[in-house]
Amino acid sequence: MLLQLNHIYKWVKQGGKRVFLLNDISLQVKEGEFISIMGPSGSGKSTLLNVIGMLDEFQEGEYDFLDESVHTLKEKHRSKLYKEYIGFVFQAYHLIDELTVYENIETPLLYKNIKSAERKALVADMLDRFNIVGKKDLFPAQLSGGQQQLVGIARALIAKPKLILADEPTGNLNSKQGEEIMRLFKELNQEGVTIIQATHSESNAEYGNRIINLLDGSKVKA
Amino acid sequence: MLRNYIKIAFRNLWKDKTFTLLNLLGLSTAFAVAVLLGMYAFFELSYDGFHKNKASLYQVYSTEQAPEGIEASEPKSVPFAPALRDEVPGVAKITRYNNKGVLVISGNKELRMSAAYIDPDFFSMFSFPVIKGKEQQPTVDKSTVSITEYAANRIFGTEDALGKTISVITEGVEQLFTVSAIIEDFPDQSSMKFDLALDFSNQAPFSYAEIKDDWSKENHEVYVQLEQGVTAAQFEKGTEPFTQLHYKDEMAAAKRDGAQPDTNGNFKQIRLLPFKDVSYANFDSGIARVEKTMPYLILGVGFLILFIACVNFINMSIAKSSQRLREIGMRKTLGAGTGQLFFQFWGESVLIFLGAALLGGLLAFLLAEPFKTLFSTRASFEAIFTFKIITGFVLGFMLITFIAGGYPALLLSKLGTLQSLKGKLNLTRKNSVRDVLMVVQFGIAILLISGTFVLWQQIDFMRNKNLGFNKEQVISLPLNGKRSDAQVIQLLRNKLQNRSEILNVTAANNILGLGRDGSSMTSQMGFEHQGRVVETHILMVDYDYPETLDMELVAGRSFKRGYASDSLAVLINEKMAAQLHEENPLETRFILDDSLAYQVVGVLKDYNFQKLNTAVAPLTVFLKPNWNMHYAYIKVAPNKAANALALLENTWKEIEPNANFLGSFLDENIDRTFKSEKKMATMITSGSILAIILSCIGLFAISLLIVAQRQKEIGVRKVIGASVLNITVMLSKDFLKLVGISFVIAAPLGWWLAYNWLQNYANHINLTLGVFIAAGLAALIIALVTISLRTIKAAMQNPVKSLRTE
Repeated sequence: MLLQLNHIYKWVKQGGKRVFLLNDISLQVKEGEFISIMGPSGSGKSTLLNVIGMLDEFQEGEYDFLDESVHTLKEKHRSKLYKEYIGFVFQAYHLIDELTVYENIETPLLYKNIKSAERKALVADMLDRFNIVGKKDLFPAQLSGGQQQLVGIARALIAKPKLILADEPTGNLNSKQGEEIMRLFKELNQEGVTIIQATHSESNAEYGNRIINLLDGSKVKA
Repeated sequence: MLRNYIKIAFRNLWKDKTFTLLNLLGLSTAFAVAVLLGMYAFFELSYDGFHKNKASLYQVYSTEQAPEGIEASEPKSVPFAPALRDEVPGVAKITRYNNKGVLVISGNKELRMSAAYIDPDFFSMFSFPVIKGKEQQPTVDKSTVSITEYAANRIFGTEDALGKTISVITEGVEQLFTVSAIIEDFPDQSSMKFDLALDFSNQAPFSYAEIKDDWSKENHEVYVQLEQGVTAAQFEKGTEPFTQLHYKDEMAAAKRDGAQPDTNGNFKQIRLLPFKDVSYANFDSGIARVEKTMPYLILGVGFLILFIACVNFINMSIAKSSQRLREIGMRKTLGAGTGQLFFQFWGESVLIFLGAALLGGLLAFLLAEPFKTLFSTRASFEAIFTFKIITGFVLGFMLITFIAGGYPALLLSKLGTLQSLKGKLNLTRKNSVRDVLMVVQFGIAILLISGTFVLWQQIDFMRNKNLGFNKEQVISLPLNGKRSDAQVIQLLRNKLQNRSEILNVTAANNILGLGRDGSSMTSQMGFEHQGRVVETHILMVDYDYPETLDMELVAGRSFKRGYASDSLAVLINEKMAAQLHEENPLETRFILDDSLAYQVVGVLKDYNFQKLNTAVAPLTVFLKPNWNMHYAYIKVAPNKAANALALLENTWKEIEPNANFLGSFLDENIDRTFKSEKKMATMITSGSILAIILSCIGLFAISLLIVAQRQKEIGVRKVIGASVLNITVMLSKDFLKLVGISFVIAAPLGWWLAYNWLQNYANHINLTLGVFIAAGLAALIIALVTISLRTIKAAMQNPVKSLRTE
């Protein structure tokens, strides 16, 4: 078992009333799964991903990740955990504008204090694998959306995570680019990386081997 | 349109309350300080500017070519001024001026006052208006005296002083005078100050009658007013025959001793120093140098502080502009021209500047009194508020507003429409103008901090230096009473003889340091010794002088009672001994111009008998117990200082019931001599503290904006694994680099300035790198703390918040 959510509740107060962002979510994810979370805007997809990624807090419930109870962990411990095991891919890519492609991919390694020689080798592998060696000295603004997302995924993978969380990874891309990205995810999944993606698109969701439907923060039986 | 602009301006200022507040705070403090420092500096620069004839008034001095180099002398002999008037063309008016402490007696009042002995031209040359009296200008004659309003009040209280008679004792001679005029009190910026004005010939015979035709006794200053159209250079040139005639022997002696003539081939040159420069003149290097460093330095500090505040404003405005890109784009699409946009943004700046100027003015006004007390200055707004200076302030304000407010406005108004609409323009990131300005800002701060360190170190050094005499245990006491000095000293000795608090009593005719009577003098003379002219400072002392002051003898003996020949014995210091070129100085005899032969009986170890910025000069000490001593020196037992001072005061009251007791310990006297250094140190310290605070305000604001702009990046980095420390370091690094660059620029500059300043002091500290490193570190740490206030908070924030906004 990679992770397990038990009766997670998350809410915000609005005018004295609770507005539920996540309402009694329970979920089990095994290693090697490829899960698609679907639902309309505001249904809680991103919130759920953020909670799984330990970026966001929740008010009630339990969350175990690799046999550690995340809800009892201290912030410092938690960040160590996600740094080690989780990679993020965003709809808006969130590359750092001032850094080149190479530097963007390299950054997570810097934060893990990996030695220079090893960093070089890892980044070179990654560039090679995604066929973007020729673009390594370009800045994000000089790339197309699909290429930027490729870099985003490369960056998420560089630290060899067990889990990739992708929030609408193809949302800003045209259909052809989107398809390429999804195929890449499929490949990665077949290599053993667990993937959870949030998406609007039925066809993208089909790439996964399990679909979870959300509406107003609750799981909907399909 | 205008109303719309003003409305938008106010709303924008209101919306960014933090920035508006920081800007107002910084700018108004800077304005207030600049105004106060400006007031002080302009006051210091306005000395003697009130004389109507200032353009043609000069002090006469001369330079002599000596074997050691060129030397200046201000004092002139009694026959000098009349001869100059008669023999050199171009003199419209001339006056001799000798300022002396005298004792004024009226009824049972006995007052120490300062008297100016002057010639009849005096009051028509200098503008000291009469407020009571028959004439427009006071007359100067043998039997009358002109007194200031202040002195009149001291002597006669509320009674009318005009026509009354006072008795004046000068150098033991008493004379009666009728008050013929009351002069207005001097403006604070007058370098000439006195209570009474008497005819020059009324001095004691010793200072006037007996030396009427003696060209070698020089004891007063001479001022001239040149005829219209005559320049100082023309006049100086015209004095050559005069010098040839009256100083032939002196010049021949200089030539014989190996002095080099000046460029005109002369060994002595009469020179003129414009009177308005007299209070800034320094004669150390011969020809008078006008030194206004101190006031200009203060003015400079004021400008630097204003500059820092303006830099803050510019940086904040530019950094803030990214938030208004959409507004700019929108306005441009709606048809606003570059000019209109410029005026809109500039108008906002003007609003802030106006507010800051008003607040700053108010602050300066409120702080004027504490400022005057803190820096013990008489500077006031009234004293300097001339039309010119007010116009200057207003023009300066407008210029600052135009540059500091106009530059960001110009940048904003020139943006392209589409770029700004998209809000994509990264105007604020790689901003070299901002970086340069911040480097300058921190450079100034580092410069001021290291200046502060150096100043205090030097003051501390001077305070703790071993001066070669005992300054902790000895009290100096000005003999300012009616009795003769020898009599007072005898009485003091008799009354204090058996008291355990008092160890020794002696006297000398000069002070060490600066006493509570505030007067100082130097006596010098030259004589021929083995065919060369020898120059020396001279000091007249009573028995026990070296013993009372714990001075060390390197050879020979001190004066001894019972040795009749000691009345012609002298002590010399090591510098003097070196100058005599004798194998054994103790066997030296020299003959002074009164043809008496003096025998050197002892050599004193060099001690600092003058201000500490001068090196120890040659000194000859004469035993003259019955001389006009001026000061008693009393050595007290250790640990009984306070008792001893009280005892001394009581004893003094018994001996001289009507005279003030002005006794003070020598270490206080020494402290008093570097009052101006202390004042400067206080100003620079306050300036550097303010500079640091203002720089930090700017830095804080910039860090706020940078953090806001990089929020997304911070979020991304955190998500991919950056720790709080990583982020903080990343955000602070750029600023610290700037501080580093400022250090590299400011430290050598500071070193150079400090080095040059220290050259003014013969006794000075050695500059060490440590001072500058400490200053740099201080700036670095302060900058780091300031930035951390915001960056740590940003680094700890949950990244989801910043990423969600996309």
